[in-house]
Amino acid sequence: MGVGRRAFVYLLTFWVILTLNFLLPRLLPGDPLAALLDPSSSDYVYDPQVRAALAAYYGLDRPLPEQYGRYLLGILTGDLGRSIRLNRPVAELVVGHLPWTLLLVGTALLFSSALALLAGTESAWRRGSWADRGLVSASILLANVPVYFAGMMLLLLFGARLRWLPLAGGRTPFARYPSALAAALDIGRHLILPALTLTLAMLGAKFLLVRNATVNVLGEDFMLVARAKGLPEGRLKWGHALRNALLPFVAHLAAHAGMAVTGAVFIETLFSYPGMGRLIFESVTARDYPVIQGAFLVVSAVVLTANFLADIINLHLDPRLREGGAVG
Amino acid sequence: MMLMVQDLRVTFPLDGKTGLRAVDGVSFDLAPGASLGIVGETGAGKTTIARALLGLHPPGCVQGSIRLDGRELVGLSEEAWRAIRWRRIALVPQSVGTALDPVYRVGDQIAEPLRYHLGLSPAEAWDRSLELARRVGLEPRHLRAYPHQLSGGEKQRALLAMALSCAPDILVLDEPTSGQDMLSRARLLDLLDALCREGGMGLLVISHDLAAVARLTERVAVLYAGQLVEVGPTAEVFQDPRHPYTWGLLHAYPDMSTARDLRGIRGAPPDPANPPPGCRFHPRCTQAIDRCRREEPPLREIGGRWIACHLGGLQTLLRAEGLRKTFFVDGGEPEERVEAVREATLDIREGEVVALVGETGSGKTTLGQMLVGLLPPNGGRVVLEGRELTAAKGKERRAMMSRIQLIPQDPFDAVSPRLTVAEMVREPLDIQAIGTPEEREAKVRQALQTVGLPTSSDFLARRAHELSGGQLQRVVLARALVLEPKLIVADEPVSMLDPSEQARVINLLKEIQTERGLALLLISHDLALVRKIADRILVMHRGQIVEEGPGNRIVTRPEHEHTRVLLEAAPRLG
Ligand SMILES: Nc1ncnc2c1ncn2[C@@H]1O[C@H](COP(=O)(O)OP(=O)(O)O)[C@@H](O)[C@H]1O
Ligand code: SF4
Ligand SMILES: [Mg+2]
Repeated sequence: MGVGRRAFVYLLTFWVILTLNFLLPRLLPGDPLAALLDPSSSDYVYDPQVRAALAAYYGLDRPLPEQYGRYLLGILTGDLGRSIRLNRPVAELVVGHLPWTLLLVGTALLFSSALALLAGTESAWRRGSWADRGLVSASILLANVPVYFAGMMLLLLFGARLRWLPLAGGRTPFARYPSALAAALDIGRHLILPALTLTLAMLGAKFLLVRNATVNVLGEDFMLVARAKGLPEGRLKWGHALRNALLPFVAHLAAHAGMAVTGAVFIETLFSYPGMGRLIFESVTARDYPVIQGAFLVVSAVVLTANFLADIINLHLDPRLREGGAVG
Repeated sequence: MMLMVQDLRVTFPLDGKTGLRAVDGVSFDLAPGASLGIVGETGAGKTTIARALLGLHPPGCVQGSIRLDGRELVGLSEEAWRAIRWRRIALVPQSVGTALDPVYRVGDQIAEPLRYHLGLSPAEAWDRSLELARRVGLEPRHLRAYPHQLSGGEKQRALLAMALSCAPDILVLDEPTSGQDMLSRARLLDLLDALCREGGMGLLVISHDLAAVARLTERVAVLYAGQLVEVGPTAEVFQDPRHPYTWGLLHAYPDMSTARDLRGIRGAPPDPANPPPGCRFHPRCTQAIDRCRREEPPLREIGGRWIACHLGGLQTLLRAEGLRKTFFVDGGEPEERVEAVREATLDIREGEVVALVGETGSGKTTLGQMLVGLLPPNGGRVVLEGRELTAAKGKERRAMMSRIQLIPQDPFDAVSPRLTVAEMVREPLDIQAIGTPEEREAKVRQALQTVGLPTSSDFLARRAHELSGGQLQRVVLARALVLEPKLIVADEPVSMLDPSEQARVINLLKEIQTERGLALLLISHDLALVRKIADRILVMHRGQIVEEGPGNRIVTRPEHEHTRVLLEAAPRLG
């Protein structure tokens, strides 16, 4: 499959998600949106302005196809509805929260991947040794520690007890930074604990994956041939073994992009980190349906994009996936 | 001497047990520019030897000595091996399909050793690989391709170019022709042949493709279950194999020019984790003696050939020298005599199928009867397993004669019509007084099963006239088998049968011969029939053996006038 066809498949998937996002609230028993507008309901929205915006956005009194058309049109123009709780456009909330999540997930992904690739390859190279066995056991353990438990421990140790790092938030509240560097430092300090937690949460599984994929590659005939060619160890390990193990690893990244976001929800809540996870958590608690829907949509789009990127990367990594069979 | 391998042993660890000895005491030399073939069945340890020469086995697996220009390689560190690999010894691996890294361009993989060993820049290395590719018949587009875009033959060439890249002193080819179609195989052999002729490079060809080895090498070593059993000049070994295993391997080999059906060696190669004691070939050897089961035979030089066999190689089972037989027609007038057999000399080796062909009246049956001792010759002698049958007397003679069984032309010559099936088959045991009645009974049943006949009491009680021709012939065969002979002389065993039954009985004979490791002398007027199973054919004409040779040679390139006549008379040869 070429890039074009892949992109088409992803667009199609996104459209299905959009449609589900439209249909689900309307199919839910008891019609949660109606409850918001119904004065006798416990979920009744008191602010008349918000009620009006809600009714207009969902247009519940109009025929379904028309509602659907308006909905799609709204999304295309960046209109994701309005928050009931905060009485602000959902799009604005998303723009405010998404970068924090991207920063958190991106950092954790980067570190966990780099560590997993390095340690996984070395461990596979020395398969069967004490170091390998130790790392494998530790990773299995790590992969089974609940995220919030690990986060709590880190928080207690470094935040509460040692007081080396801030306890909560994405930055110091109300701080004015004299320079961009100072801002980056402050944001970085706040990032360390949540990013470390998320890194640890992802590291175990990633390490095991890299290690096992590399062990498989090491058993391949071409590795024996590469050794027979008298190539230096570094070239064998990184140039051939890891290079081939990257293929299943990137596929795994694509498949687990969603998991990374889910993990982020827990962690952002725990560390009061101002990202999408926290936004979703608070909206769920407050039954802020428009935000929940909008956030869900954006997160889906992000996950799909990540998937798409991973696919494209793999296309570059593995010539067998590219179009065209025999040469000339 | 460039490469000297001494007492090479490779042991793979197995859980719990002592380990699997895949190569056990192999020694060979390779002089600069010389070529050596190593042949053997799958699992004999060929690839294991190839990998040992590049130091690819895990540390501690390899014992013995591998010397390159006097320098010991066994036990070198991985770092020291790196300098030997590819620059001194390069390998074209067995697994062509998976030997190239799927994510890199073929050209880059050819250039890779150039960059790391010779320190060429990427551009220089690429230029050099273009040159190498041309040498092996690949085009630039093949170098730009990824491995999955090449055919098997192209991959094989790419691997060859890769192996040649650093101009190694020794090139090891592991099964260079496996998995190739006939056409690319032929082209590859031409190419390899040309490369060898360029000279300078020592060549080690490891293969079960005997024809490829014959084409590419000067000397050959035959590997069986991790040990060498025969070493010698390739042409001589293939022409005149001396070790029973080499002999069987060559005869099992489907040769394009042979019309003969595939002949197997009975049994299967041993489990390398648990090899048999003594000579590893003994369970399959047709001439094994007690000593073979106890003692390992060393590789010894016997007449310019290295052979590992207690008996010095394949034995001659029966030898006839200058046999003569003259019959006098009634009245006894000297002018009325018929010289039925004149100065016939022949050898039959252990486990061999020899066909004696000739037209009716050429003396075949007379010769056959003299060989089994039924008819005294007027001159010459018959030697069976080293003892002279023609001079033996009494008990010794009877014992010797039981080693050879004749299946006569007419089944009724062998059996009395008054006897039942059971009695017919049992008779030889009764005469020789072998075993208890129960044991004889068991042998009779077993022999009947071997020839594919029922052993029901109803069938056992039948008499000759109640049997079909094919059944009667099988009963006669069973009768010949109960004494467990070493040689069966079958005189026109199928001439009385219809064609489909003929083929069945011939195949049965062949099967039993292989399974039991018997030798078989097949007497027939029908060249078309016997060439299917005969290892060697003797042509008889007017009491003399006029031509002798391997089955395929006789059929494709007959030398004697009379052989051609016989061939033309055989319509089925077409
Ligand atoms: N790495 C290994 N570990 C265990 N056994 C092996 C290994 N490599 C080969 N063997 C065994 O050694 C024997 C010889 O194998 P091999 O050298 O591949 O034979 P060939 O190349 O003649 O077919 C076989 O029984 C095989 O199963
Ligand atoms: S005769 Fe004995 S030593 Fe010779 S090959 Fe047969 S079994 Fe081995
Ligand atoms: Mg092999």
